Amino acid sequence: MHPPISPADLATLITEAALAARRLHRKMVLPAADLDDLRQDLLVDLICRLPGFDARRGSIGAFANIVLHNQSSRIAIRHHRQWRAQCGRMLSLDAPIAGGTEPLGCLLVEADGLAAWLGQDLSVAEDADLRHDLARALGDLPEDARTLCAALGTCAIAEILGRTGTSRSALYRHIALLRLDLAMRGFGARWDGLRAA
Amino acid sequence: MEMFVMPPTAFTPAKPRPFTDIEFCAWIGQALPGDRLEYHRGFLGIDTTAVISTLPEPERRRVGALASAAHRAFEAALVHLVQLRVGPDHFAYLAIARTKPRHAPIPFSQLIVTEEAA
Repeated sequence: MHPPISPADLATLITEAALAARRLHRKMVLPAADLDDLRQDLLVDLICRLPGFDARRGSIGAFANIVLHNQSSRIAIRHHRQWRAQCGRMLSLDAPIAGGTEPLGCLLVEADGLAAWLGQDLSVAEDADLRHDLARALGDLPEDARTLCAALGTCAIAEILGRTGTSRSALYRHIALLRLDLAMRGFGARWDGLRAA
Repeated sequence: MEMFVMPPTAFTPAKPRPFTDIEFCAWIGQALPGDRLEYHRGFLGIDTTAVISTLPEPERRRVGALASAAHRAFEAALVHLVQLRVGPDHFAYLAIARTKPRHAPIPFSQLIVTEEAA
């Protein structure tokens, strides 16, 4: 069993973890409230890795530095991946943006909504057009396809299977046909003339 | 300077990339009335039949699915299907886009309400 850690070593670990957390917090430009979470995460990881510490190879401070550096890199990579997946920083509608006092939600008009900030260029007018086109396409669909479309809009596949008693393969065949029906009416797939030529 | 002249028969134009049933349906979705698309060249009845087709199996399946999609579009009054004879047992199969039929639009919300009531 690993010997218990001395109070002096524990103080070193806490100090090093706090320093590393502050460094990482500053580099990632995170909100102030995240500093405590970062410090906690780093310290827990460091304590978990203490059994790997060998006093003959160096001081506990040096060991802590290496472990904290590696864990900081992992956190930064994870954070950066999330940041890219969300097309930028997390935005809260309730928090004021930099330099302002009004919450972000009060400053955004509907046409310039959060979706537009995040790169989804769907305006209210386009949204209305889309609904209108969908209603027209649904009106053109055969009755069975329309029923399936409505069922897919409200139920999961398992529920439809249980309710209608059809086999899973038959249902997927119907969905494939529905996909063709919608594509014929301008929904889903796009025709690329240049690619086809 | 010596110059090579290529006889006209030696030149074969690049074969267009074969497209799938969903791409064919996407073309219908975007086509204007009168637009035409050659979706197959050969003998469709033979090319899509399992035992007698000379096409490789994946290709035969693709052509079969394409022909089914074309027929489905024809039944939905979205295209005319015509064929041009280009040689003995050799046809060009064309789809000609029609004016889109007009039916009463059904909002999706209304469709869901009807479905839930049923």
